[in-house]
Amino acid sequence: MPMRNMLRPFTIRTSTITLACALLGALVLGGAAARAPEPVKLRLQLNWVPEPEFGGMYAAQQDGLYAKAGIEVELIKGAAGTPAPQMAASGQVEFAIASGDQLLSLNEKGGDLVAVFSVFQQSPMGVMVKADSKFNSIEDLWKSDSTVAMEAGLPYLKFLNRKYPGSKVKIVPTGTGLAAFERGAVQGQQCFISAEPVQMELKKVPVRVFSLAVSGYDPYVELVVTKRSWLEAHRAEAAKFVNALREGWIRYQAEPAKYNPGIAKLNPAMSLEAMDMAARKQHDMVMLPGSAPADVGTMTAERWKTLSTHLVELGSIKEAPKSPDAVFWNAPK
Amino acid sequence: MIRRAFHAAFPPVAVVVALLAAWQAAVWAFAPSEFLVPSPMAVARALRDGSGQLLAAARLTGLSAAAGFALAAGIGIVLGSVLSASRFLMRGLYPIATLLQMVPLVAIAPLLVVWCGYGARTSIASAVIVSLFPVLAATLDGMRSTDPGLVELFQVNRATRLQRWWKLELPWAIPSIVTGLRIAAGLAVIGTIVGEFVGAFAGEDAPVGILITSALRENRTDMVFAAVFVASAVGFALFGVVSLLGWVLLRRWHASAR
Repeated sequence: MPMRNMLRPFTIRTSTITLACALLGALVLGGAAARAPEPVKLRLQLNWVPEPEFGGMYAAQQDGLYAKAGIEVELIKGAAGTPAPQMAASGQVEFAIASGDQLLSLNEKGGDLVAVFSVFQQSPMGVMVKADSKFNSIEDLWKSDSTVAMEAGLPYLKFLNRKYPGSKVKIVPTGTGLAAFERGAVQGQQCFISAEPVQMELKKVPVRVFSLAVSGYDPYVELVVTKRSWLEAHRAEAAKFVNALREGWIRYQAEPAKYNPGIAKLNPAMSLEAMDMAARKQHDMVMLPGSAPADVGTMTAERWKTLSTHLVELGSIKEAPKSPDAVFWNAPK
Repeated sequence: MIRRAFHAAFPPVAVVVALLAAWQAAVWAFAPSEFLVPSPMAVARALRDGSGQLLAAARLTGLSAAAGFALAAGIGIVLGSVLSASRFLMRGLYPIATLLQMVPLVAIAPLLVVWCGYGARTSIASAVIVSLFPVLAATLDGMRSTDPGLVELFQVNRATRLQRWWKLELPWAIPSIVTGLRIAAGLAVIGTIVGEFVGAFAGEDAPVGILITSALRENRTDMVFAAVFVASAVGFALFGVVSLLGWVLLRRWHASAR
């Protein structure tokens, strides 16, 4: 066989491979040029099951606001006892839900968290009693020898005990849900004004709700928090996330019924009717009457200062942060 | 005597000291945030500063655990004896009793509050549920393993069923029952604390379960560890009482107590 013929198969194979490589290279380069940059992945650890209290977060997801901002957000469902703030402080998630007192006490123990969004502009925490009870105020309840279901260690429990000294109220855990309250084993029940009273209303158990904010203790209750080191390294992404959250909340406030079916799918235990009622009840605590949509989610140094002062007085933290500005960040809009 | 006591105590004390030293060294070396892992020294400080509250908590939890344990021991020994006497009852009831150890206590604890009300009753009921099965199973196994030759001897001598139980089967089962009681002692404390998580009263005189939930809410991990230490001490105390009882009952005739 002539030498040329012997080399031919090799020549053909070489040219085929070269051509294939060229095509592949073109495809890869072309594809990369056409593809949008990978969205930044963020996780938000909730501290409770999907409910209207997280309505804006889910509305932003349903309307694709996160994707539009170039971020991919995973909303991780919580449950009773989910250590959400600790997960953010230990860097297991980028964002988590925490209350103001949790943030300040964690920071005192090395947590270094910063609040970037406050769902509520007025605390939704309260205490409910049955409407046919003799209690017409939180003071009446606290000056009785009733049994109240309330989480031990809550600063506002200390606040109430301090405000009404010598109280004989017996405090028991909230682990039984509302069963004990319903059958009268406890006379008072810690509640989110927009949650437990709604459940009672749907069960045709009339209740009276006393707001803790009105009684003088109005902390930031549902904050989105992140680790300071993460925030400093990812301010742009954090701002995109916060602005998407704000827009989500504005949309949810305007039309909760549009978004609640999606939330109800994630939490079949809560009826759509209950979600709609909860959304209505929380409306004015998310957006204070007369406030601008741009105020949604924002925080003030003054309110942080008041909370810090309260917590120091109650012995929940040793000292207030040197600068209240250091514990929160209002993202540029 | 002193030498014997030293030989008995040295290995566990040495292991505990080594573990504490390693823990403290790890905290110094890695400096984890206080809310993640407290140092042994911080836990010791929490024990010292909260000693009054912790002692009161230990007393409440200890009383509930002891009551639950005593009830479980009584019910377990009686039920085990009854089941060992009747093959029919054993086949019928033993599988149901086995379910007791499968009960997810955390899930039914809120129901215990609904059934028993707030306070010690729920904690005691919770302790009984978790500590009953080891006693029952140990009693049943111990009695069923009675030497058949001795059973025959009692039958030949026309001993009544009660005499055979009291003079033969029960003493024969004691080593096994003591083992079951030792396991139940630790479980009773765990059951009590789970009951306290959902059904105990908070306040100045709160039991260990409430101290733990309260400290967790306040991010006081040093206090959580201190409360866990106190709960372990209560468990050890109960375990010690059972071991002492076992020694008293067995020292004259059983190899395990010599």
